[in-house]
Amino acid sequence: MPAYKLTYFNARGRAEPIRLLFAAAGIKYEDVRIEGADWPALKPKTPMGYLPILEVDGATLCESTAIARFVAKRAGLVGKDDLQQAKADMIVDGMKDILKKLILMVLEKDEIKKEELKTDISEKTLPEFLSKYENLANPSGFFAGDSLSWADVDFYNLIERVRAMFPGDHLKGKPNLVKVMANVKANPGIAKWVKERPESAF
Amino acid sequence: MPAYKLTYFNVRGRGELIRLLFAAGEIPYEDVRIESDNWPELKPKTPMGQVPILEVDGEVICQSMAIARFVAREAGLLGKTHLDQARADMLLDGGIDVGKLFEEMVMEKDASKKAEKKKEFGEKTLPPFLALYEGFAGDNGYFVGYSLTWSDIAFFNMMDFITAEFPSALDGYCNLTKVIKIVKRVPGIAKWLKERPITDN
Repeated sequence: MPAYKLTYFNARGRAEPIRLLFAAAGIKYEDVRIEGADWPALKPKTPMGYLPILEVDGATLCESTAIARFVAKRAGLVGKDDLQQAKADMIVDGMKDILKKLILMVLEKDEIKKEELKTDISEKTLPEFLSKYENLANPSGFFAGDSLSWADVDFYNLIERVRAMFPGDHLKGKPNLVKVMANVKANPGIAKWVKERPESAF
Repeated sequence: MPAYKLTYFNVRGRGELIRLLFAAGEIPYEDVRIESDNWPELKPKTPMGQVPILEVDGEVICQSMAIARFVAREAGLLGKTHLDQARADMLLDGGIDVGKLFEEMVMEKDASKKAEKKKEFGEKTLPPFLALYEGFAGDNGYFVGYSLTWSDIAFFNMMDFITAEFPSALDGYCNLTKVIKIVKRVPGIAKWLKERPITDN
């Protein structure tokens, strides 16, 4: 019986970084995916009224980044010392702005506004973000120190989502970031998970 | 003993939690406050074009929460176990949306829009958040376990801003009031609150 129980919708969404970390470290967990219809009954039982939640050691955690950091600690993927951990934190937090813009664009119902948001992302936000992050990754393809951390995994997950919405070779001319992606994909646990994970719309 | 240099504007804003944590841990640091005029020159030298930044051991860290977590760890205020630390993280993250809405309200330049936002915040946003967090705070006045962590200090900091606009916000919330009391009495924090520069926000 796994000690970890992750609950989310049947989607990658905010749970996928967590699932990738469990996979990277080979940690067994219960990957519960609920139907939309079952959500209203579960909602009041969650700490703050949203998913994902992680049940572990009799406690229930929410907030996807808090959960991801916790799993990264248990997986030994959080960074080797204080400064590396701070670097990893800063890389993960720095991705929140662009993620927010992507979500707003996806949710936008007005087609004209949606196109404007899309153009803003592809011509301004995304290139600026990738330039900054190319400088923050080292030539070995890691964001924090010289080995894989959750910051690399989180970046990989973001780029996969970006590619799904904005096809194209965004990492052209960015060798450090190309290496980050390769390092994450080369992790055997992640490679296996990506092949086997359930298909979902987002 | 590493040297810490914090750079931010001369405001509390996104730097104050970091300063409170240095104070709580009684950790000396350089509290650099730049003028807006000097910002364009400094901006390209920062990792992500933003402040606050923390320089330590030749490295530069940005993102206020990443810096705060780093300082909390140095000050021994992160939480004792991984689970305690995750709980502190979750409580901090859970307050971010409310903090953003408050910030938007304060920054609103149009007077009638601002009044609208203030009403919405005070009547719709704040009460359920405080009710939820009253439940999270133990009746001993700590959010995590049985001792002070940075989540107590972060809550104090947030309410420091909010009670400036809504002075009676914590009336009736016994646990939350206890959290505030305990944080204010931490010697390093009591000293900082007396001595810190007075700024509008």
